[in-house]
Amino acid sequence: MPPVLLSASFRRVLFLSIFVLAFPAAAEKVKLDASQWGHEAGDACVSCHTKSSSGLAQQWRDSAHAAAGVNCMDCHRAEREDADAIEHEGQVIATIVSPKDCGRCHTKEFEEQQGSVHAEAYSIIEDRLPALAQNVGGSAMQAASCDQCHGSRVKVRGDGTLDPATWPNSGIGRINPDGSKGSCSSCHGRHRFSKAQAREPEACVRCHSGPDSPDKEIFEASKHGMVYAAHREEMNLDAAEWVAGRDYTAAPTCVSCHMGAAGKLPSTHDVGLRNVWSLNTPVSKRQFLVIFEDGAKMELPGDEAAPRRGTEMARADGTVGVVKAVATPERRRQAMTLVCVECHGKGFTEGFMRQFDAVVELYNTKFGEPARAIMAGLYERGLLTPTAFDEPIEFTYWELWHDEGARGRHGASMMSPNHAWWEGMYLVGRNFYARFLPEARAAAGGHADEVVDAVLRANGQHEWLDQPGQMSAILGFPPQEVE
Amino acid sequence: MGGLRAPLFITRHVLIALVVGGVGGVLFMAFLIEFDHYTSSDAFCTTCHSMTYADQDFRQTVHYNSASGVRASCGDCHVSEGVFAATWDHAVGSKDLFKQLFGPDYDDPVINALHLPEAAFAARRWFRARDSATCKRCHTLEAIQGKRADTAAIHREETDGKSCIDCHYNLVHRKVPDESTFKRDAWNRMIEEEFALEPGTAERLMGEH
Repeated sequence: MPPVLLSASFRRVLFLSIFVLAFPAAAEKVKLDASQWGHEAGDACVSCHTKSSSGLAQQWRDSAHAAAGVNCMDCHRAEREDADAIEHEGQVIATIVSPKDCGRCHTKEFEEQQGSVHAEAYSIIEDRLPALAQNVGGSAMQAASCDQCHGSRVKVRGDGTLDPATWPNSGIGRINPDGSKGSCSSCHGRHRFSKAQAREPEACVRCHSGPDSPDKEIFEASKHGMVYAAHREEMNLDAAEWVAGRDYTAAPTCVSCHMGAAGKLPSTHDVGLRNVWSLNTPVSKRQFLVIFEDGAKMELPGDEAAPRRGTEMARADGTVGVVKAVATPERRRQAMTLVCVECHGKGFTEGFMRQFDAVVELYNTKFGEPARAIMAGLYERGLLTPTAFDEPIEFTYWELWHDEGARGRHGASMMSPNHAWWEGMYLVGRNFYARFLPEARAAAGGHADEVVDAVLRANGQHEWLDQPGQMSAILGFPPQEVE
Repeated sequence: MGGLRAPLFITRHVLIALVVGGVGGVLFMAFLIEFDHYTSSDAFCTTCHSMTYADQDFRQTVHYNSASGVRASCGDCHVSEGVFAATWDHAVGSKDLFKQLFGPDYDDPVINALHLPEAAFAARRWFRARDSATCKRCHTLEAIQGKRADTAAIHREETDGKSCIDCHYNLVHRKVPDESTFKRDAWNRMIEEEFALEPGTAERLMGEH
C-alpha cells in the first residue's frame, strides 16, 4: 500500500476514534435550561384534551415529559410560516412533531438519527417504490403498508390539511413538512415516550417482522431472545442510564447491540452505525459509512477506495458534501464487538462473526451474484421486458434476495439456526434450483447456455448438478436399494 | 258632545296623512320583513351562480341534513336577527351583488375557489364581531350535550372568552385555513392541481381584476 494511503487510513481511524469516543457512555441529558419549556398555553391544551382525548392526555401525564414540565405546546408549537402550521384554539401549532422539533431539546439524538438508515428508509426506496407498491399493489397499499414502516413524503395540501394518502404516518424515514427525515414516535410511542418501551424488542417489531425482515422471529428463536424471555424482569428497562454490562446483564435486546451503550461504547441513534454488511440487497457489501461535514451520512461499498477526509462527494440526493470522517467496515465491526464482549469472550465473538460472514459470503457467491448475472444477461439481450414484475421470474428473483436471502442472512447475523437455514438459505437454494433456473432457462430459450449455464459453470459452486447419479438416503432411498 | 271633537290642528289633511303614513309604515315594515325573509332564503342566494358552490358544500353537512330535521338556511347563519339588523346586513351585503356584476367572474369555479379564502376570512370576522349571534339563534351553550361523553363538559368548562366561531370554523363550507396560517401560494397550487391548470395560472387569473 502506498504511504499516502496508509496515512489517510490512519487519519480515518484516528478521526473515527474521536468520533466514537467523544460522546459520553450514558444517555444524553437534555442540556437546555428548564426555562426553555413549559409554554404558558400548555395548561389549556391539557385541560381540554383530558376531556376530548383522555387516553392521550393520560399517557402524557405518565411521561417523563410531564414530570419535567414539558407540555403539548413545547412540542407542537409552530411558526406561522411553517408549511403545516394550523391555527388551533388560538395557538399556531403543527400536528406533526418532527425529529427537528424533538431536536430542539434532544440535539444529540437528532443529529445522530439524521442520515441513518432509519432516517433514510423512505428516501432510499422512493424511486423503486412505484414498481411494487403502485404496479403490483396500489396507492392504498403504499399508504397503509410500505409507508407505515418506511415513512411517507408527507404532503400538506393548500388548505392546510395533511393529505390522507401520506398521513397519519409514523414510518421511520418519513419526510416531514419541515424537511427533516424520520419519526421519533416510530419507536418512542407517543405520548408517553417511555424509555423502557423503546428498549423492548417490541419497539422494533411493527416493521422488523414478516417474510422480508423477520428480525422479531429471529431474535425470539435465538439464545439472546430465549434468555430475554426468561429474565425480562431483570432487564432494568426503566433505568435512567442503560449501559450493557453495567446497568443490565440478563440479555440483550435489539437496542443493546444496534444502538445501546455497552462498556465504553457510547449509545447512538444511528441504528446502522455498527453494521458491517448491507443485508437487504441483492448482493451484500461490506460498507464504509461516510459522514459529511453537514451531518449527512452515506453508505459506500467497502470494495471501493474509501474517500479521503475533506474531499467533495456527490450524494444520493444530488447535493455535494465534504467528507468529515469515514468509518471503515472493520471499525464498525469493532464497535459491534464491544457490545458482544460485555458478555462473551473475544475468541467466541470472533468465531461467531466468522460464521456469520461465511454465510453472507456463501449467499453472495453461490446465489446472489450468479442470479444477478443471469438476470442482467436476460435484460441485456431483451429476453425480459425492462418493466419489473411483469414476468414471473422477476417475482422469483425478488423473493430470492429480498425475502429468502434476507431471512437467511439475518438469521445468521442474529443466531437463529432455523432462520439461517430452513427459513432462509434452504429456501434460497430451493428457489434457485427449482424455480429461478428453470424460469431463467425458459426465458432465455435458445440463449440458455450462454445466459444461464455459462454463469453456473464459471461459478464453480454448482458442479454437483453435473453428478446425477448421487442417490442419497435423505429422500428415503438409500443408494444400495437401487440396482 | 264638544269633548269628542278632535283638536283643532287635526285637520282633514293631517288626518289623511296620519292614516296614509300609518298604513304606509305598517306596509313598509311588512315589506322589510318579507324582503329580509325572502332575501335570506337559499333560493334567493343561489340565484347568483357563484353562490351555488357554497351551497353544494353546505348540502353535505349536518347543518343541511340533520337527524332532527332542523335545516339552516343561508340567512339563518349569515343574516342577523331582527328586521333592522337584517336590513342593515342586506344593505351591506349588496356590495357582493356589486362585485358579482362588476368584479371578477365568480361564476367561474376556478375564480370562485381562488377568491374563497378572503370571503371565508370576512365571514369569520363577521361572526366574531357579533359574538356568533346567529349560531346562538339555535344553539344554547348550556344545553349542548353532544354524543361523546365529554362534549358537554368541554362546552361548560373550556369556553371562557371564546365565541362559537373561534373553534367551529370550516364547519359548513369548503375548508379554508385560519387567516393567521393561510398561505396564498399553497392555496393557488392546490386549486391549479384540482382544475388541472398550469402552475402560475392562479396568479394570472387573480391579477386580471
